[in-house]
Amino acid sequence: MSHINDGDGIGGSPNRGGGRERVTGAQDYVADLGMPDMLHAHLVTLDCARARILSIDTTEAVRQPGVHAVLTAADLPDPMPRFGPQFEDRPVIAIGEVRYHGEPVAIVAAETRDAAEAAARLVRVEYEELPAVHTIEGALDPAAPLVQDPELRPGDRLAGTNVLREHRIGWGDVDAASADLVVEHTYDFPMVTQFAIEPHAFMAAPDGDGIAIWSSIQHPYWLQRVVAKVLNLPLAKVRVYAPDPGGAFGGKQHAKYEPLLAFLALATGRPVRLVLSLEESFQAVRRASSSIRVRTGFQDDGTIAFQDIAADYLIGAYADIADRVVGKGTYPGCGPYRVPAARILARSVLSHTTPSTAFRGFGAPQINWAVESNLDEGAIQLGIDRLDLRLRNLARRGEAFIPFDTPADGDWDQSVRRAADMIGWGTPMPEGRGRGIAVGIKSGPTTGLSHATVRLLVDGSAVVSAGTSDMGQGARTIFAQIVAEELGVPIKWIAVHMGDTATVPYDQQTSASRSTVLMGNAILNACRDVASKLAAMAARLNALEVAEVETGRGYVRLPDGRELPMFDVMRSGLGPLGGEVVGFGEARKEADPSHPLGGSAAFFEFNCTAIEAEVDRATGDVTVIRHVTVSDVGKALNPLQVTMQDEGAAIMGLGHTFMEHFIHDETGRIRNLGAIDYRIPTSMDVPLSLESDIIENGDGPGPYGAKGMSEGALLCVAAAVAGAVREATGAVIRDLPLSPERVWRALQEVDATATDAEGSGS
Amino acid sequence: MRSFSYECPSTLKEAFRLLSAPDEAARPLAGGTDLIIRLRDGSIRADTVVDVKRIPDLRPRIEVEGEHMTIGATTVMTDVAASDLVRHHFLALAEAALVVGSVQIRNRATLAGNVCNASPAADTATSLLAFGAVVVLAGNDGTRRLSLDDFFVRSGMTTMRPGELLTSIEIPLPRSGTGSVHLRRTRRRGHDLAAVTMSCVIDGDGATRLAYGSVGPRPVVFADDSGTLADPTASDEDRSAVLSGMLAAASPSPTSMRAAPDYRLAMLNLLGRRAVTIALERTSRT
Amino acid sequence: MTDHASSVSGGTSRRTISLTVNGRARSLDVAAHHTLLEVVRDDLGLTGAKECCLVGECGACTLIVDGRTVDSCLMLAMEADGAEVTTIEGLATDGHLTPLQKAFLDHGGVQCGYCIPGQVLSAHALLSNHPHPSVAEIEEGIAGNLCRCGCYRQIVDAIAATAGAGEG
Repeated sequence: MSHINDGDGIGGSPNRGGGRERVTGAQDYVADLGMPDMLHAHLVTLDCARARILSIDTTEAVRQPGVHAVLTAADLPDPMPRFGPQFEDRPVIAIGEVRYHGEPVAIVAAETRDAAEAAARLVRVEYEELPAVHTIEGALDPAAPLVQDPELRPGDRLAGTNVLREHRIGWGDVDAASADLVVEHTYDFPMVTQFAIEPHAFMAAPDGDGIAIWSSIQHPYWLQRVVAKVLNLPLAKVRVYAPDPGGAFGGKQHAKYEPLLAFLALATGRPVRLVLSLEESFQAVRRASSSIRVRTGFQDDGTIAFQDIAADYLIGAYADIADRVVGKGTYPGCGPYRVPAARILARSVLSHTTPSTAFRGFGAPQINWAVESNLDEGAIQLGIDRLDLRLRNLARRGEAFIPFDTPADGDWDQSVRRAADMIGWGTPMPEGRGRGIAVGIKSGPTTGLSHATVRLLVDGSAVVSAGTSDMGQGARTIFAQIVAEELGVPIKWIAVHMGDTATVPYDQQTSASRSTVLMGNAILNACRDVASKLAAMAARLNALEVAEVETGRGYVRLPDGRELPMFDVMRSGLGPLGGEVVGFGEARKEADPSHPLGGSAAFFEFNCTAIEAEVDRATGDVTVIRHVTVSDVGKALNPLQVTMQDEGAAIMGLGHTFMEHFIHDETGRIRNLGAIDYRIPTSMDVPLSLESDIIENGDGPGPYGAKGMSEGALLCVAAAVAGAVREATGAVIRDLPLSPERVWRALQEVDATATDAEGSGS
Repeated sequence: MRSFSYECPSTLKEAFRLLSAPDEAARPLAGGTDLIIRLRDGSIRADTVVDVKRIPDLRPRIEVEGEHMTIGATTVMTDVAASDLVRHHFLALAEAALVVGSVQIRNRATLAGNVCNASPAADTATSLLAFGAVVVLAGNDGTRRLSLDDFFVRSGMTTMRPGELLTSIEIPLPRSGTGSVHLRRTRRRGHDLAAVTMSCVIDGDGATRLAYGSVGPRPVVFADDSGTLADPTASDEDRSAVLSGMLAAASPSPTSMRAAPDYRLAMLNLLGRRAVTIALERTSRT
Repeated sequence: MTDHASSVSGGTSRRTISLTVNGRARSLDVAAHHTLLEVVRDDLGLTGAKECCLVGECGACTLIVDGRTVDSCLMLAMEADGAEVTTIEGLATDGHLTPLQKAFLDHGGVQCGYCIPGQVLSAHALLSNHPHPSVAEIEEGIAGNLCRCGCYRQIVDAIAATAGAGEG
């Protein structure tokens, strides 16, 4: 018998949790929340990339009507508190020096936004502009100014350079490996920004003898630790509210201006809200750009003999999580292939630019672009089909393709073959078209800890408390589906509470596509805790031993074979006082200090993308005729949401592939600061046909065999598109984005070479 | 945004008075899709914003008056693009109006505002130039008519005098059999500022007018009255020579982040050829 | 001059405007430099309209004014004097979602949701003016509403399905 409402449980696609609020405008994001006596904050920034701050005069600003406070470094504790997820290098506010375009030097709190903005204009900052570095080449120049004060890096042999860290991964002997063909090229990836449609927003308010913080943040518990440390408060006195972010994509993982807001709230004794402009959000978060040299050895039959990779990632003025991005992103940099010898040297290079941080794919899209493109080059030189070359080298299930890590955890060839079938690989195409295919892999979380409670209430409804941030991935829906499946509660009767560190139990973070797996397992365990309590009730009510009672999805089975709905058991078991049954669940992924990343991958995200594109040779316009994306997700708990994530990631990937990049002027200021000249895809920039599919073998570590997903479909878009452009035109492009101008320029070279060949050849 | 006062005059006379404040301290507001951005980013300062949308003389209208069509100063892009009259007589203008911004922008942005901003990249400017449009300017000293070609000076600058308002745009009705087209180059397919704009009008006798923008300080227009460009029997060499001559005025900015000069020039040439071909096809069709 | 009283206080010019918001007549004292977006969000508390790019690129602030969509970040509140304004809060009646809103959910058009009020209003206006749009017309109709989650295909499906069902 079924105890689950049709479509509510696993494998169904009920409407998105919180969807009704989102289509009616009732969903409250941080900027929609106000408090009765709230002040408004405005940042004071300098229009330059780097400067020595000589003096800041706030006299005139403070005197304005409605202004309550203007804070500068001088108003904060000495020494300046610093924070950061990897290195505590970021000051709460700039002190002495501004290190990137947009770094705040002061903050104003006033009764209205107008007053705060007007007062901010009256803060007089005397400063001396200093030379800034904003390119990899510039930052690595031995004469380059140092971005970080070497005193912040005691005992670090690299402290006298702009290299923050070097990451070396490898196996086998690359120097001794023999190959029939060696292909070596350098590939560049642009500096792009998350561009969540919700600009970052923060609010802070004194809260008894502690502080309350509201932030559109992915990691509320991490933020709680940062604020507690900066203010020297116990964790229990820092309450972080994390209303669902309006898009995050990694950019809202870590603390930015929350510590500053906390000081401002304490200084004024009032709630204070800071809503960034889109421009300020661009100046707050971005993806690391990169320049990656790949030297691949091939045997004549297409077998990979070795990979030798040197990857430089340009991170910003403060480390944020950027160095972890570099280390973790490049770690599976050789791809999901059997590579006998590998050497990867990845460097995070500091610069006077926006601090780069996590962004969907976490360092993997950059190296994927380089390595997958280089495989195409090899295949073409060897005269081997690009699909065949990938299939020949693809690691099989269980193969330790990275010798000291989780073995291949999927039948990855299935995804590749499915994508190839869907695009019609090898079938004829109209003139002027080409196809490309690429695969992407990303390491899942290396550690994790999630707690959850599930409370089954007396009327049969349920309350889930889970510290994940639902930033669009639909965690609310998945969590409710797990409870519906396990306890037989209709989804409309389930409330999912998130985003309040005071009432929701601890979750490490919302990142690395972990939440379905880690928090999902925690919720599953909480449901099983509820079930075991119901089993005990059933045993008591029926004078049985607990061991004689079994539970299944939504029911309790007695030794005589009767299956009692959980709700009936609970009603009888709770008796006249009513109440509720509370379940607690935990999921852990332990750290492994001996592992280069501090832990093995919980799972791998695997995707294959195939593209058919048409190129207008005269203009350089590329039209994506068909875009096929296939992900190995283990089990789709909600197929519609899986499709939404994969297709959304695919379109986001088309952004950095075709149009997105920050442009700096020679002094390091961002020239295209804002939505007019920083272009992202619109509804008219999607492929003519976008098709997604999934591979489900139930082989993931999450509930019901699910793996994490939602980043995979972005990883290899660029390489697949460039492969299609190359097949269509012969143009080889090793720098993104593939703007019409860049494609046109490459075609000019192709034509010039062809003309030269005609002229000299025959 | 800095504060300012808002005035909403109901007569031209009142508007002239408000707008004659010194140092451009009073700014006319029509659609606001450019003005408000610039007031917010501080590139324009105003003490007074003068909303001209409630002045009857400036009302939205698209009417044929004798030998020309008149478009009122507050007519928005959506209505220009959708107008059967515009599509019938001035297809290139309808095409240009349809690519200005998004639906939301076109619902507010006015044709007159697009012209008055004098952006080198304004899409409608090239089509209006190619059709020989005339702007009607009114002020305390009376009303005058100027060819659009004499109106544009350079980016952001026109020959409009302080206190004047553009009250309407007049476009001479083309001779029957005229074909026209508007083309552009952008960085994406969705709404974008153009890196090259190109409008072409060819009349039944084969006279060609080519206007282009975004490749110099202002949009420009050139005529080929020889008929060579539109003559299918003319040699490719002759036609290329005429086209090159017409495009020689282009001098794209070397510092633009939207496209490099060589790409712009190549695209200008390409769009010029494509525009002539399409306009010619449309000529024979009508 | 219009017949409204205007005043200047603290350097800010203010005036009372009258407009209809979601069918309800409102009279509001507004500052000259405040946009319709600011007034709807801050003075009326209708926070469904979102602030993002403030340059008319993203459409998060989309409202329907006199039957047409506008980027309310680029329209002064005073320009809306006498206008009829529809915000996202004005679509569902008595707690019942419109077929379009329901279709957004059924077709998976909603991820983070920040752009969704604007998307729904653009789609609503599109279908009101053009009950049977082609896919290309739908894509063009919502091109002024950026969705960074990349839900465009699902949103287009939702709009097409609503049009196909003959319900705006």
